[in-house]
Amino acid sequence: MANRRSSKTLGVGLEILAKIWRLRLVLLLVIPYLVLSGWLFTASRHADVRPGEVFMVPDHPLWEKPSEEHRFGTTGTGADLYELSRIAMANSVAVAVVSSGAGVALTLLVVMLFAFDVGENRFRLLKVTSRAGFLLPSFMVIVILAGGAGGSLVLAMIAMTLAIALALAPVTARWFEEGEEGPDILAGYALGLTRQEIVRSRIVPVVIRRLLGVFARMIPVLVMAEMSLSFLGFTGEHISVGVMVAYGRDLIIEAPWMALYPGMMATIVVAVLSLLGALAAGVLRTGRYPRFL
Amino acid sequence: MVKFLLQRILAFLARVVGAGVIVLLLLELSYCVFGGSDQHIWQAESYEGEASVIAYDATGWRGLVSERVVSSAKVWLIAYGGVLLVGYSWGILAARLRRVKLGALLALPFSLFACVPGFWFVVAVAIYSYFAWQCPGFADEVVVQSGPDLMSWWYASIVALPVLAPAAAWQLRAVSSVIEKEAGRPFVKGLYTAGHRDDTIFYGNVYRQARPAVLGLLDQALPFILGGLVVVEWAFRYDGLGSLFVDCVKGGYYTGILMCSLVVAVVIGLVTFGRELLVKLTSVE
Repeated sequence: MANRRSSKTLGVGLEILAKIWRLRLVLLLVIPYLVLSGWLFTASRHADVRPGEVFMVPDHPLWEKPSEEHRFGTTGTGADLYELSRIAMANSVAVAVVSSGAGVALTLLVVMLFAFDVGENRFRLLKVTSRAGFLLPSFMVIVILAGGAGGSLVLAMIAMTLAIALALAPVTARWFEEGEEGPDILAGYALGLTRQEIVRSRIVPVVIRRLLGVFARMIPVLVMAEMSLSFLGFTGEHISVGVMVAYGRDLIIEAPWMALYPGMMATIVVAVLSLLGALAAGVLRTGRYPRFL
Repeated sequence: MVKFLLQRILAFLARVVGAGVIVLLLLELSYCVFGGSDQHIWQAESYEGEASVIAYDATGWRGLVSERVVSSAKVWLIAYGGVLLVGYSWGILAARLRRVKLGALLALPFSLFACVPGFWFVVAVAIYSYFAWQCPGFADEVVVQSGPDLMSWWYASIVALPVLAPAAAWQLRAVSSVIEKEAGRPFVKGLYTAGHRDDTIFYGNVYRQARPAVLGLLDQALPFILGGLVVVEWAFRYDGLGSLFVDCVKGGYYTGILMCSLVVAVVIGLVTFGRELLVKLTSVE
């Protein structure tokens, strides 16, 4: 008679396969993200990318119109704009990923400080604080913080992180409250599970899943914010599409391509990131949250 | 009702004062703690600086800010008016035709335009108007001497467009999803089972029930619009409150920063107050 006991290894393997199958859409979305990042981050970094030096206009400028050799044309010092745009976009995306991740992590941390408290009004302080700051647009707050210190990328990132946490904390608190209303949670209480167990095992995983969607959706928004700040000159000496357009703005008659083409690349990259972010948020069932940046 | 009004007025004042305190703290933090400036917010001389760089004239800060508010009001009107018009009309339409998933299609052009960096869009318009129309592109380059000042409305539209698009896309989806959520409730299925007509159910029941929540979205996009205009106005050299704010931040003029921020806070606060009043008046008991 054959042994009917199922193999432990086979069971674990099947479980892993089932998990992968459940995550198939998320895993599929990782591929375009990797392709985009690969394309951006493999740009040549040997060139001098200090904006002040790359975009200076010498007495006899070496700029060239877009051609076969230089798809986006060149700057006054002869630097290739296409490569510079790629480096600039890679910088913006890196800043956005770090700020978005930090913002989402800070949001979760802040909300978790109140999540285990008992009582319906446990998130009241969080909501009141957020409502007090509602009258000030997040971007103005970021401009004051980053610009007041004379323009610093680190401060701009900290400001963006804080803006995300302030705006998302009440939304995340609401997700916690909604999570406790489901019939499965009531069943859990009826079965004798403690509040801590329910929050930890049933609510937190759902909130983290939704926050991952927010993380993906925030990336293009933060890329735009970073480019805007660098356009205003509030992110210090680092190359970004904002800086490139700002330099190009003063040369719209002599070399209009210097402002035009980097912006076009930024538009395409932001559009791709937005599409991927929307798909990721859809797959992770993130839901709606206010537009604040 | 009087009690409600007084409560809301008090809340509005508290929020504006709160916003002022937050701006002061931000000034101290950014300029003094991180920037190393010795102009602290509690010193009277920190507020006395003359903004020579930004064409400060005899009217003083109050005159300058009022002038810029009038100039920016056109942009706010176009941007916020456009967002409400598109967001509500198309949002309700998208919810009405929810079975064919029209919402995503209606929001698509706005969502695509939202991917264009606002500061780049206005520079691109300036380049185009210089080469195609042989006229100076930026807002500070043409002064209309006589006749109706249509140019100022044209410039205001250019500045408003980059913030209108993303805000309208968001508003449209928000309105549509609020109504669709209401349409998914069990009583709607009951009405269908009872044989009521689709449009009667939608306008007579679903929309009516969802109206307070839909009106609750009135002021949600405004902070985003006013924040976004800061960079677009400065990029297009538009003499509005946003560009004054950026110039003040660059020059370290506390008075200017504080006044610009408070004007924005008051505008948002007033719209929020109006929204609260409207929701109260129209809410279904």
